[in-house]
Amino acid sequence: MIPTVSASGLTLRFGGTRALDDVSVRLAEGVTGLLGPNGAGKTTLLRVLATAVPADRGSFTVLGHDPGTTAGRLDVRRALGYLPQTPGFHQDFSAFEFVDYVAILKELTDRTARHREVRRVLEAVDLSDVRGKRIKRLSGGMRQRVALAAALVGDPGFLVLDEPTVGLDPEQRMRFRELIAQAGEGRTVLLSTHQTEDVAMLCHRVIVMAGGRIRFEGTPAELTDRAAGRVWSSTERDPAARAGWRTGTGAFRNVGDPPEGADLLEPTLEDGYLLTLDGETAEVAA
Amino acid sequence: MRGVAKTLGETSASPSAEADGPPPTHIVARALLRPVWRSLPRWALMTGVVLGLLPAAASRTVSGPPDPWLYLNLLRASALAFALGLAFLLDDPARHTTATVPVRRPVRTGLRLALVVPSMAACWTAALFLEPAKGRPPVGAITLEAAAVMVVALASALVAVRHSDAGEPGIAISAGILGAFFGAALLLPERWELFVGPSDPHWDDAHRRWAGVLVVAALVGALSLAEPLRRRRTTLLAQR
Repeated sequence: MIPTVSASGLTLRFGGTRALDDVSVRLAEGVTGLLGPNGAGKTTLLRVLATAVPADRGSFTVLGHDPGTTAGRLDVRRALGYLPQTPGFHQDFSAFEFVDYVAILKELTDRTARHREVRRVLEAVDLSDVRGKRIKRLSGGMRQRVALAAALVGDPGFLVLDEPTVGLDPEQRMRFRELIAQAGEGRTVLLSTHQTEDVAMLCHRVIVMAGGRIRFEGTPAELTDRAAGRVWSSTERDPAARAGWRTGTGAFRNVGDPPEGADLLEPTLEDGYLLTLDGETAEVAA
Repeated sequence: MRGVAKTLGETSASPSAEADGPPPTHIVARALLRPVWRSLPRWALMTGVVLGLLPAAASRTVSGPPDPWLYLNLLRASALAFALGLAFLLDDPARHTTATVPVRRPVRTGLRLALVVPSMAACWTAALFLEPAKGRPPVGAITLEAAAVMVVALASALVAVRHSDAGEPGIAISAGILGAFFGAALLLPERWELFVGPSDPHWDDAHRRWAGVLVVAALVGALSLAEPLRRRRTTLLAQR
């Protein structure tokens, strides 16, 4: 793995809370998923790597640029596309005008080339037909795609996406997955999500965070393997299970340390994730 | 999804800043003029302007001999209304979407200021001349008061943007300005008094204090323009 983003010892406190606690990560080309419960520090890590907020301690580089200096930070930003958790817009702008505005902020000043680039990214996110429509008249899914187009404009080498599929219906989520998979070809994408399916379907690597620390870093298959032999089926919720829930068939799916002779099931990435958190997450309701 | 593979797989046709080097700031600023103008919180600013011109215009309707104290306070009300409008100047609903772009915050903020401050100065001049010349307070002194209140509003907006995540802090800032204005008018002890009349022996002293308020607010605003590289204070605390 040739790292394009490399962070070491990132620490950030908000008051008495350590939002990031000595976090070191290395990202390479392709899509890396960032999983974790609420308050795990995912958004904070993304904001630090996107240079939106500085860390108290630690350092990182993006595509060889060090954001510790003004010039380095600007170089990082030139190589960066960022989709925040709650993207905001100037509602009276059209989709084209907004992405064009972001393109100027990314220093694309040649009008003809910039407009060509804006049309390219709007086509990429399938918004060409509504590019002249005001953002306030677009649906939530379309607005999310406008934000993705804004992140993609200028062809950044490092794309930071903070929960981009939240609030989207299943069809829109599938569209977004397709887009993110495409975006991951030839660039580094860091995708924060609560959806383990997103990670299973999109990511070649996955990082699990909890309490401001990295709990796991590896491939989705390796995360899934953590649950091998630790998922079983039963007719009642097994009190020994760390998590258990009734499935559509009426049987219980249990995750944890199985009893002798348990009816073992094929683990999923979600099972591996739950076991990695090891009780730090809320219990799954039966 | 139509054309996704092709369009995202294509090499960007854009003039990459990496390839050609970053464009000069004045070129970026010129390209940003129109979108920044369109992104201004025009309703809030216009409301401030209209509410600011109303008290000055009202002085024309007052019958009887000119009342310098009334005229002075009507102009103070105008200045406050303009300042309340300016408190919204940095409101930016797209703040988080555009948080990590290479065009630096001072450039974007400077553009907003450059687009609005001359208009606000013109409106203040209009407010001054709306008042009858006879009974109008000394123009330099009242303009100093107005400038101080407006710079306090702008500095508050800059501080809010620098130290909070709020995209649109205008309402909170304007409430704070309003409170501070009336608090200063009602609660300041005599030796710190800011709101005195032209015939008051403390008029000059009060305006020295107004000048101090203006300078401090301008300094705080200028310091808040910068984007932090490191959170120095918390770094020191974290190392302890």
